[in-house]
Amino acid sequence: MSEDAVIGLLVATVQFATLVYLAGLGELIAERSGVLNLGVEGMMAMGAVTGFMAAIATGRPWIGFAVAALVGMATAGVHALVSVIMGAGQVVSGLAITIGGLGFAAFIGQDAVRERADAVFTDQSIVGLSDIPWAGPILFDQPPVVYLAGILGIAAWFVLTRTRLGLALRAVGESASTTDSVGHSVTMLRSSAVLIGGAFAGAAGAFLSLYMAAGWTEGLIAGRGWIAVALVIFGAWRPGRLAAGSLLFGFTLALQPRVQTFDLSIFGLEVNTISPALLGILPFLLTVVVLIAISFRARHRPSPAPAALTLPYRREER
Amino acid sequence: MTEPTHAPLHTVARGRARWHRIIVRPVLQRRARVAPAAQAIAFLIGIVLALIAGAMLLWGSGNDPAMVYQRMAESSLGGFDALSRTLLRATPLAIAGLAVAVAGSMGLWNIGAEGQMMAGATVAAGFAMVAGDLPGPVLIMLMLVAGAVGGVVLVVGPALARAYLGVSEIITTLMLVEVAIRIVEWLKVGPWKDPESFGFAQISPLPDQASLPGLFGQVHIGVLFAAALLLAFWLAVSRTAWGYELRMAGSSPATARYAGISLQRKVLTALLLSGGLAGLAGAIELTGTATRLEPGLSSGYGFAGIIVAALALMRPSGVAVVAFVFGAVLRGGQSIQTLGVTSSIATILQAMILIGALVAAVLLNYRVRWVRPVGHPSEKAAPPARPARGGAPPSEGSSHPEASGV
Repeated sequence: MSEDAVIGLLVATVQFATLVYLAGLGELIAERSGVLNLGVEGMMAMGAVTGFMAAIATGRPWIGFAVAALVGMATAGVHALVSVIMGAGQVVSGLAITIGGLGFAAFIGQDAVRERADAVFTDQSIVGLSDIPWAGPILFDQPPVVYLAGILGIAAWFVLTRTRLGLALRAVGESASTTDSVGHSVTMLRSSAVLIGGAFAGAAGAFLSLYMAAGWTEGLIAGRGWIAVALVIFGAWRPGRLAAGSLLFGFTLALQPRVQTFDLSIFGLEVNTISPALLGILPFLLTVVVLIAISFRARHRPSPAPAALTLPYRREER
Repeated sequence: MTEPTHAPLHTVARGRARWHRIIVRPVLQRRARVAPAAQAIAFLIGIVLALIAGAMLLWGSGNDPAMVYQRMAESSLGGFDALSRTLLRATPLAIAGLAVAVAGSMGLWNIGAEGQMMAGATVAAGFAMVAGDLPGPVLIMLMLVAGAVGGVVLVVGPALARAYLGVSEIITTLMLVEVAIRIVEWLKVGPWKDPESFGFAQISPLPDQASLPGLFGQVHIGVLFAAALLLAFWLAVSRTAWGYELRMAGSSPATARYAGISLQRKVLTALLLSGGLAGLAGAIELTGTATRLEPGLSSGYGFAGIIVAALALMRPSGVAVVAFVFGAVLRGGQSIQTLGVTSSIATILQAMILIGALVAAVLLNYRVRWVRPVGHPSEKAAPPARPARGGAPPSEGSSHPEASGV
């Protein structure tokens, strides 16, 4: 296996990790406020198609990226309205976002399928750092969205764990009535968290259509939204662990199209005989294993899951 | 929370928004009595809202909504052949919806019906490969049994984890959907690849005798299975002690425990039954409509089944009605492709019906009451809002900081 192939694999790992990290970070923020949003797949599709169309119309990928975040936010707004403000079931509402979002994206993207993608992100090397062997090309010669995702991750960690707003947001995910009784608006906090989550998912979709695939087709998201949902659990609802998990999941995603070209043997196992489809199972199986491990550990220490996750709140009925 | 907290929670509220205090705002208050037909009305409102939104979408994309809707209605409801095509799609929807409703009637969410359908179809197809020379009726019956087994196999892990470890079944069942679909993709290019399809990877076709007999028009006898299962579920849930215990275990676990009901066993049976039914739906879809197993066989029926069950409030009669309506929407969506309109309008309509009905159900079961602002807790309390009629719990006025938690 050549050095170029390994670097190519790791470059793709960072990009796939960015994709699921962006969407997963948004889902993490929503879940920490107590709202499960199973609509990530649909929000990503909406962001991907509208971001792509806006970038083509304006010729600027950043405008497409911003439009995608706004559209993702608007899509999440439906979930906020139905599940937070009206207090209907989060599970069904989120599924409706996924099903409706995928359908809606396919509908408005019919003509975009044939569009050529000129206005896409290009790699931006960081002067000085990109010449470092190995780390340079892998970390510092990437599209700007990769760097943005890193900044957003640090910002999200800071806000969640080091500010009063973050404290209130985490509190409302643990016990809405307690947070309400100290004077915070539960509706406001949860709706904002869901909207921010939608913006992140929409932006992740745009990264897919404006860089990784550089185009739009129906079925572009291909389960990456579900990987983001899994990632939040795998990362035990913490931004830092989410980043580590996204690198692992990103590695399996990057490995899938490449694995059969690798001429390598590990412990007598020929790597190129591993099926890409079976590799794709790994993130989901790992998440199930982590969930079960968390519940085993929960006998000794508190579960990392927000206690009020999926529980709607109405002040009048507590 | 495990992170350190930096300020006591009660000091956090200082930065609270002031607009909250001046604006007259709506509060949802549960009605003392809910009209029995409220959910049916909510469903109808959902359909109307979805049709209006869909019409705007069609109009905005340069289509004539009236013409599109007319074509959809004619092709799904207008005449014998049209109805049979609707029923063909309603069949897997009804069984998948029933599968979700079985778990849902005790408050569990089987989000993985889609994956269990694929698992059922996979095991059924695998059985047909090893026992392909059995006579038709025997082979089909055994394939359907194999399908149910396949669904159970996929759900047994989540069911055990939920019953004995308390692991949320929502996420575990959902994760296994992707696992099941990818296993079929692997079978397609790997071990089950048809040796006679040289360059193009597909799974070997089913034996000729492994297709469900037709009933009329496009409909196969799967629709009879669906009807029988719905009836059996209705009898079991509303007319037997088992069903009563199931519902009680869902609505009031503490009561059920006092009554000596094993919650763990109830969770296990409800989820395994749910998975088995979804697997059966997959096997019926395979033998009824397909010539071979494909990764896209279930094509969203399992996820749509969740919407069907939610709209039906987990009741079998509701599942039948909603499945029929969704079957018509799917058939209508397919038919308008000849007008140059994409069939994705059907999935949009389904999602919008659900969202419209969810909102309508809340508004029908709750009364919207406009409340005047109350004083900030740190000030002298303003006069409390007008007390609710009919002994409903007090709303705004009681939310004093000293009020205890849940």
